[in-house]
Amino acid sequence: MSERLVFGSEHDFLHKLEELVKSGVNPRDIEIFAPHPVHKAEEILEMKPSFVRTFALIGGLTGAATGYLLTSLTALDWPLPVGNKPIVGIPPYTIIAFELMVLFGGLSAFLGFIVTSRMPAIRTIISQDEFRDTFEIHVRKG
Amino acid sequence: MAHDHAVAAAAAHPASEKRLQIERDVISAMQRPGLVYWGLVGFFATVFGVCLLGAWAYQIYKGIGVGGQMNPVGWGIYIVNFVFWVGIAHSGTLISAVLFLFRSKFRSSFNRAAEAMTVIAVMCAGMYPLIHLGRVWYAFWLFPYPNQRLLWTNFKSPLEWDVFAISTYLTISVVFFYVGLIPDFAIVKRYTRGLRRHIYSALSLGWVGSKQQWRNYNMLYALLAGFATPLVLSVHSVVSWDFAMGIVPGWHTTIFAPYFVAGAIFSGCGMVLTLCIPMRKLQKLERVMPIDHFEKLAKTMLFTSMIVGYAYTVEFILAYYSGNVYEFGVFKDRAIGHYKFAYWIMVFCNVVSPLALFIKRVRRSLGALFVISIFVNIGMWFERFVIIIQSLSHEFVPYAWGNYSPRWPEVSIMIGTFGFFFMMFLLFAKFLPVVAITEKKEEVH
Repeated sequence: MSERLVFGSEHDFLHKLEELVKSGVNPRDIEIFAPHPVHKAEEILEMKPSFVRTFALIGGLTGAATGYLLTSLTALDWPLPVGNKPIVGIPPYTIIAFELMVLFGGLSAFLGFIVTSRMPAIRTIISQDEFRDTFEIHVRKG
Repeated sequence: MAHDHAVAAAAAHPASEKRLQIERDVISAMQRPGLVYWGLVGFFATVFGVCLLGAWAYQIYKGIGVGGQMNPVGWGIYIVNFVFWVGIAHSGTLISAVLFLFRSKFRSSFNRAAEAMTVIAVMCAGMYPLIHLGRVWYAFWLFPYPNQRLLWTNFKSPLEWDVFAISTYLTISVVFFYVGLIPDFAIVKRYTRGLRRHIYSALSLGWVGSKQQWRNYNMLYALLAGFATPLVLSVHSVVSWDFAMGIVPGWHTTIFAPYFVAGAIFSGCGMVLTLCIPMRKLQKLERVMPIDHFEKLAKTMLFTSMIVGYAYTVEFILAYYSGNVYEFGVFKDRAIGHYKFAYWIMVFCNVVSPLALFIKRVRRSLGALFVISIFVNIGMWFERFVIIIQSLSHEFVPYAWGNYSPRWPEVSIMIGTFGFFFMMFLLFAKFLPVVAITEKKEEVH
């Protein structure tokens, strides 16, 4: 069973949320719904930063490494000495590495969002569940 | 029963009323398009089909020689248009990512439209290298892939950097645009029925606004903004290096990257105004797009106009001070030579006309802003024309100088891209929420 509380304003919602947490309700038993991001609610519920950033970090590093390796290894595979320029030129390859860092980092952050939020949520898509305009607090009970 | 009562009480709260009003204002802009609207879409689609696809087909059939590009001007208005559209795209990312990081409030009126504009403009820009290639079916040679001849692309070439920069930019812009839309799709779902409801529901990925979803979403959005900000600077820098890495006088300068980035943001702000002013009127979005926000955008445009004006001046001084006769020769030729009309149009549109924005009344008059934004669009097109074509026409040896003028297939293709751009934007304005609803709601207290 759970208790559902509905609010029209952010202020009332945050007030009640703070009250609940102070009264000893475990923040894990509280589910909230909001029509827009409420950063303060995350603080009250003491939520840890999202895992999405780890995905972005790994993606970004992979991208940068791919950029440097792709350019350097292909250049070494078939060396074309031109005008005494180095075969592996770090400055130009940094541009490719940078672009691939952004590309891989951005895409893996999106992938991370999909995975950590368990989306697409097929059940919600099919059902009549809606993203409402109210602030809600659902407290799970024992 | 008690729960229903609580829901009704919550909905009656004044803050809730305000939020619902925002929803209704934006969603009502998405109501079924009328016959006139479809007529406009059809008109632009025809322009796209006939002018762009038709002329391009003709060019493919006859060969790239149907255009005016010929030594010494090997890059004609195809490349002018490429740089122009990439530039237009930039302010979308500026408004959505950079202003997000700076927590600027006025972005919420424009960010959705600007992001849509970015995606469409990058598509327009992306067409031009393909059109300019001539034998477009070899376009895949631009990408590194393990081919049978064991050949790889030259990663030291600025043109190859462009391939990476533009494709990354298009991909990240699309992701950013879509991510911003996810909660709004869930809102639109509530207002639609039947098939449309299912489509919007699927696009919202089952968004309900729970704590996990918002937490991950906020992190994703901040990360994407963080990635997009250096990306936007890098993309136009790379485009500028297409020129600056060459030894052509007029191109070979170190100020090109910042100069191009400022110009890009300037032109993009101009295009955002050109699109948003009529859209605000036609879609009745006066409440969600206040004049104050337009004024702030006008200030951004004025600021970037002054950077661009400074760059025009400094270029001349650098050329003079370098003591390089070829460099200074090009700049003298810009101001008084064959292409002086383009140069002075550029100066008037980009430097002189935006000065009117110093007057508060002009900044707050949508009519005046619209006119100035058109000037800016024209001026920035001519800026690229001057940089690319005039520089190439007047290189080192006077014997090798030569003038260029575009031929009809090039002009036709250019008109066709505008058709594509406006067609896509009109479709966007009717099928997607044109203002970020959840972000607007965040401002309600």
